[in-house]
Amino acid sequence: MSIQNVASAPPSAEAEKVSGWRRIWQQDAPGYLFLLPWFIGFFGLTLGPMISSLYLSFNHFDLLTAPRWAGLDNYVRMFTNDPKFSASMRVTLFFVVFSVPLKLAFALGVALLLNRGMKGLTVYRSLFYLPSLLGASVAIAILWRQIFAGDGLVNKFLSIFGIVGPSWISNPNYSLWTLIVLSIWQFGSPMIIFLAGLRQIPQDMYEAASLDGASKWRQFWKITLPLLTPVVFFNAIIQTIEAFKSFTPAFIISGGTGNPINSTLFYTLYLYQEAFGFFRMGYASALAWVLLALVAFFTAFSFLTSKYWVHYDD
Amino acid sequence: MTFPLSRRSFLLSSTAALAAGALGTIPTLAQAANLRLIFWGGQARADRTYGVVDLFTAENPDISIDGEFLGWADYWPKVATQTAGGNQPDIIQMDYRYIGEYARRGSLAPLDAFVGNGLDVSSFDEDQLRNGTIDGKLIGVSLGVAAGATVFNTKVLSDAGVDIDPMRWTYDDLLTLGPKVSESTGGAMAMAPDGSGIELLFENWLRQKGKALYADGQPAFAPEDVTEWFELWTELRNAKAIISPDEQAIDTGQLETAPLVRGKSAMNFTTSNQLVAYQTLVPDELGIAIFPATAPDSKGGHYRNSSQYFALSSASASPEAAIKFINFFVNTPEAATVLGVERGVPASSTMRDAVTPSLDERSQMVVKYIADLGEIAGDVPPTPPASAGEIEVALKTKSQEVAFGAQSPADAGPAFYDQVIETLGRSN
Repeated sequence: MSIQNVASAPPSAEAEKVSGWRRIWQQDAPGYLFLLPWFIGFFGLTLGPMISSLYLSFNHFDLLTAPRWAGLDNYVRMFTNDPKFSASMRVTLFFVVFSVPLKLAFALGVALLLNRGMKGLTVYRSLFYLPSLLGASVAIAILWRQIFAGDGLVNKFLSIFGIVGPSWISNPNYSLWTLIVLSIWQFGSPMIIFLAGLRQIPQDMYEAASLDGASKWRQFWKITLPLLTPVVFFNAIIQTIEAFKSFTPAFIISGGTGNPINSTLFYTLYLYQEAFGFFRMGYASALAWVLLALVAFFTAFSFLTSKYWVHYDD
Repeated sequence: MTFPLSRRSFLLSSTAALAAGALGTIPTLAQAANLRLIFWGGQARADRTYGVVDLFTAENPDISIDGEFLGWADYWPKVATQTAGGNQPDIIQMDYRYIGEYARRGSLAPLDAFVGNGLDVSSFDEDQLRNGTIDGKLIGVSLGVAAGATVFNTKVLSDAGVDIDPMRWTYDDLLTLGPKVSESTGGAMAMAPDGSGIELLFENWLRQKGKALYADGQPAFAPEDVTEWFELWTELRNAKAIISPDEQAIDTGQLETAPLVRGKSAMNFTTSNQLVAYQTLVPDELGIAIFPATAPDSKGGHYRNSSQYFALSSASASPEAAIKFINFFVNTPEAATVLGVERGVPASSTMRDAVTPSLDERSQMVVKYIADLGEIAGDVPPTPPASAGEIEVALKTKSQEVAFGAQSPADAGPAFYDQVIETLGRSN
């Protein structure tokens, strides 16, 4: 009843004359109120710690006593005199360079298979997506240890053919590859996005191409892939950032050490060791900012080059 | 339905009730405390610890204790974070590698003022008190005496026809007898794990040579010693007396990942108190022996360490209550009976005598082992420098480089030595 009254009442002259501030307050306050939890989280848990970590990166800070100003010491050490920094950088870049393209290729392959209008698509889609949900969990990392250990599933399978495999997970030649395989196995989320992208491609293009006698292979390279480049671009950026941030599997599988011989010493794991294992929060903060710069550089580079290979078909 | 109650009588009676309540609560308020306790260990240790907590809180209903336990590797990051965040638990289990680091940075409270005044250490072994003393102040209360020890699977060794003298066996024995274990198990097991990355074993070997790990905050060994150490293990590895490097690398320090538990080796190099925990995970009967000697009558390698300490946070709001619990933990026969020797043999002679007759066979062996060490054992080394925890990890990584053939012992010796110097000299 009262609602009707308000709705049908003509706007009063007074309401039109309220000052700008008051109008903003009246119109936007509820919006900001609803955003408040996010603001608190963002300023308190993201921006605040980021600023303090930037400050700490110019300090020696052992967590137990007050920080001491160090100027650029931490950064200088990193680039001139820290073999573990370069080792962890190599491990991380190797991981990014191999895991991201392989994962994307695998995700695209499965998406193409699923896009052929098969029965029970939703079931398969859910099944293939499952590893992504479980992906970074501790349980999966432990499972991985079991599968790739000396007497694990992989070697049991190989022994059928008379092959005696090494303990993949704890051999420095293979340990990083087991982590790359783990990452590829979690292809679900890029696959779902690829699948959505494939659905966007107009069918008449394929029909026209078929009439002109283009093979499936040619159709893929000339139609599917070019029209899919925005999705590839999106997935590549997201997955690259994820790969740089990867931490849990290496932490669990190597027991937090990054061993054998630092072969799984991801950058984030090294950062964690320095901060919480060896009481060097200042140095770890500097490491974190270098990682941020590196990821920003890769992302910016991708955006800058995107105009040469990403086709927005508008 | 209302009671006839005047305002005056209501005020009177409620004031009386308040006063009565206050009288009743004042004594408890002075003592009531919520304590937090943190320790590392497995389920066996947690069960025993919480058993003592229950005994204590039953006697002291005004004190409550929240316990928390983690595995070794996760424990130190957690304690460091809690300390930095001003959220340190009242009672913290400490290790000899870290206690100096925390004490010197002022986050652990000196206990001298409580000695004889809530904390009774009169029956403690003198070396156990000395172990817990940092820069002249008592910081850690020893929870047990432990020493380096080899825990071995008696069945596997006897099946292989291998007989070792537990208090005199040597690295030469390992070299000559080791291949027998590998043969009798068809290559499935080796006699020993690869000990080249175990800091405690390396220290023991150095001490038998009359050297030490650290002296005055500097390494007390030479690069050549490290090379010789790695050469020793390379020889054992080539003779198949120890497990392969990739099997060894599976071991992340948790009991469940130890080669002895996984049925890959007949032994593990650990500390004496761990016999109890290992026995819960290995179905065959376990025995206990010294770390291998360099020669049958070599002395001075072992020492009576404190397996761990309880320390008091300097930020604790209820230090008296915390001390009361620590005192209960180390000085009451009921607690000692529950704890057994899982944390080591009790540091108090009174408790040791009280608890020994009721111990099971495995635990009796641990007590006997510590007693038998007698003249084999040397002095307890000084508190290690800060960064000792980091160097322990570095030795493990370096040992893998040698084991997997990425670096020769000749190169690894000087490389590790330089790394130690660099780490010790680095400021946080």
